[in-house]
Amino acid sequence: MRPAVRETWIADRWSRGSGPLHSLDARVKLAVLIVYLLAIASSTVWNQTAFAGYAAILAAGMAASRLPLSALGARLLFLLPFSGIFALIAWLSGDTPRALALVEKSLLSGLGVVVMVATTPLEEIVRALEFFRVPRSLVLVMQFLYRYLFVIADQAHRMRMAAACRQGNRAGRRPRFQAAAGIVGVLFARSWQRADHVYRAMAARGFQGTFPAMNPARFRVADVVFLCSSVVAALTVRLML
Amino acid sequence: MNAARVIEVRNLRYRYPDGIVALDGIDFHMDAGECVALFGANGSGKTTFVLHLNGLLQGEGSVQVCGVTLGPSVSATDLAPVRSKVGLVFQDSDDQLFLPTVLEDVAFGPANLGLTPDLAATRAKEALEQTGMAGALARAPYHLSSGEKRRVALAGVLAMQPEVLVLDEPTTALDPPGQRDLIALLRTLPQAKLLVTHDTGFAAALATRAVFFERGRVAGEGSVEEIVNRFGWAR
Repeated sequence: MRPAVRETWIADRWSRGSGPLHSLDARVKLAVLIVYLLAIASSTVWNQTAFAGYAAILAAGMAASRLPLSALGARLLFLLPFSGIFALIAWLSGDTPRALALVEKSLLSGLGVVVMVATTPLEEIVRALEFFRVPRSLVLVMQFLYRYLFVIADQAHRMRMAAACRQGNRAGRRPRFQAAAGIVGVLFARSWQRADHVYRAMAARGFQGTFPAMNPARFRVADVVFLCSSVVAALTVRLML
Repeated sequence: MNAARVIEVRNLRYRYPDGIVALDGIDFHMDAGECVALFGANGSGKTTFVLHLNGLLQGEGSVQVCGVTLGPSVSATDLAPVRSKVGLVFQDSDDQLFLPTVLEDVAFGPANLGLTPDLAATRAKEALEQTGMAGALARAPYHLSSGEKRRVALAGVLAMQPEVLVLDEPTTALDPPGQRDLIALLRTLPQAKLLVTHDTGFAAALATRAVFFERGRVAGEGSVEEIVNRFGWAR
């Protein structure tokens, strides 16, 4: 399985767990995440007490997620090349508090997003985005991309294997590059064809251009408690510490 | 049209935009409750033909489905009831299952018919029950096996309560137990069924009549055994 697809697969498997955070309404989790990210982003760089407070909130969320902590942490490694470079520049220019804050802010924000995604199935995230009036076309693109990612990756894998079987003794980068270019081209054409087939299958079931609305989930007491307590905690850290 | 006749096609012709003649004067009929197998080589026009049965393609000639005459003058609104009468199950289930959960996907058709979300969900649950997939309501379609996807795709069509089921290569990617299950399931369904297939064993288990397509024409019609022997279609 390709790394990107494997990552998606793992996140998808995690999102279907049964921890306390999993059972909460996705709209509530998304709202809390947005408040949490805004609070972190707007905190001043020298306020280390506030970052400790955000870390404590996040630790509570991670505990409630019941996800493997080491694996969650490993997912953050992809942030290091980005935040690390900017932190290094800040540190070399003598602004140590900013360098430290850059790393802290990116790690806390990134981990918050990972916890949200890893405890919420995509279909619920999609519904939450619709609830918050994210443009429909954007949500649909995300939904279709996620749905067909596995199908297209599987197709690409089969084509790569077929190309490797016929590669014979032609080692070296050039033949491999040529084969890869051919695979990408054919994959594009097939994806285009599949899009046509998917639309045809939708039309066969009466699709006339607009998606019918399904019943939205209802808020429960636990959702309201989580929403209030999390927002109060994030705002307390932001305003008081 | 005969009261029991659900499909009546006369002299249907269709040419693709690139000029290739796909259907060259097809005459075909099907009665309520009947199960017909459609044989023919790849490229003989089978899939193109079935796409005419619910208005996805429109050629020259006469196509009547459950009393409604299809043609270029039929509006999208008029096509909606026809699409509920003829349920098309596509060869690749991945083309059909695109929503995040099985329940939403199966409810997609009924919701498009204008049913309320509750009623669409009820219809979807009934159809999933019928196909033995009631336990997969909340599952994501991409987590299903080929056989399960096929059942869910069939449920998506059954939820629209069609009078005719059209199954394009339904045994593709199914292992022998999956094929046996599908045969048993289709036997329980009262709808008229059109099976587009290369699988003669599958067709023999269900169909009472077979039609053979050759270069966009009906080259023969008879019992499954007769057609298989006449055209050398046995494996």
